[in-house]
Amino acid sequence: MLVRFWGTRGSLPVAAKANAVRNKIAAALVAASGRTFADEGAAREFLESELDFAAAHTYGGATSCVEVDVGQGPFIVCDMGSGLRELGLDSLRRCTQEGHAREWHFFLSHLHWDHIMGFPFFVPAFVPGSKIVIHSGHADAEEALRRQQEEISFPVPFDYLRAEIEFRTLEPGREYEIGAVTVSLIEQHHSHSSYGFRFRDAAGKVAIYSTDSEHKIDRMEGEADVVAFFADADLVVCDTMYSLADSVSMKEDWGHSSNIVAVDLCHEARARRLALFHHEPTYSDADIARMHHETIRYEELTRGAVALEVLCAYDGLCVEV
Amino acid sequence: MSGSTLGWTTESRGGARIVAPAGRVDEATATEFTERLREAAAAGGGTLVLDLAGIAYMSSRGLRALTLAQRKGSEAGTTIVLARPNPTMREILAISRYDMVFKVAETIEDALA
Ligand SMILES: [Zn+2]
Ligand SMILES: [Zn+2]
Repeated sequence: MLVRFWGTRGSLPVAAKANAVRNKIAAALVAASGRTFADEGAAREFLESELDFAAAHTYGGATSCVEVDVGQGPFIVCDMGSGLRELGLDSLRRCTQEGHAREWHFFLSHLHWDHIMGFPFFVPAFVPGSKIVIHSGHADAEEALRRQQEEISFPVPFDYLRAEIEFRTLEPGREYEIGAVTVSLIEQHHSHSSYGFRFRDAAGKVAIYSTDSEHKIDRMEGEADVVAFFADADLVVCDTMYSLADSVSMKEDWGHSSNIVAVDLCHEARARRLALFHHEPTYSDADIARMHHETIRYEELTRGAVALEVLCAYDGLCVEV
Repeated sequence: MSGSTLGWTTESRGGARIVAPAGRVDEATATEFTERLREAAAAGGGTLVLDLAGIAYMSSRGLRALTLAQRKGSEAGTTIVLARPNPTMREILAISRYDMVFKVAETIEDALA
């Protein structure tokens, strides 16, 4: 199983601006300290091996879109954030070059704008012969997608799309065989509700997609359900937008979780890897890197019998599960 | 991380109350910790010093219990001050940013000041 991150930012797409790029280049030149490089490959090798991730890269700024690739069956895609535009083009390339079936199955955490805004730019939807199935825990998913393509918001109406598009409402507590995966879902605490998804492939590998999920401070007993849902997962993609202090004070009821709670839930569930996700849009690359390092440290400090590897998702990351 | 129980001692000093739990605050002990701390916060008023010297570490359950107790305390006019965190607890308070929402003191005397 491969998990590809096409969009990892929360709430609003962002982009690194001119001064951010300039400052990274200036810092890299200082770090090189007069060294010379035979070619760009040698320079890239230096950046990879001697600078930390945020100094030489960016986490990216597209909103939530994650692909679960099990090597067979239709494309499996979690959410339709702005990262979906690029996935649409890349998946069409795979159809042409690798003979992949022209069938896409979406799993929507919920219908907030940052999780559906990529769909009007999803090129396969415009192509006759494409088959698109949109799975959601929400019965009003179709209404949300149609509404964002009404004339007041977008020039191309939903009915103009040439793909065969179907909506399916899924229920928590059941297991569904869809394409080459077994899928189940759990309802999460978020405005208008959100759903987490559990994907298991034929080899038994498990990936969880759990974003826009608040773990309420006065309902900590209810977290046993979440722990059971995450149980023994090989990878858990988790909403870690805020610090714990923010999530229980100023930003309480904003519907998001923290890095600390994500580690605790994964520890309890004996999960193997956690991917920090739905990054706060006001965070710079350095802020996200700091949050990542702090989360690794918290995991070490509170680790029980089983170590949890903490990854930080970025646009373009591909994780082999 | 299971089967553990918490030690718990209470003392009064200079008009303030000092509670000193001992052990690890994790999934196994969080409910007990939450209940005892909420009770202490609801009773009385004034300063309630939570002496962390006997606490090995605290997961988010314990940290969130601090927030629940603080809410209970603010109804009763109690202010919770954290004192004597070990290096691990100090790091956890910093990573969670709880050191920005609670006063954290190095000594009991500083907590009472
Ligand atoms: Zn979101
Ligand atoms: Zn949302």
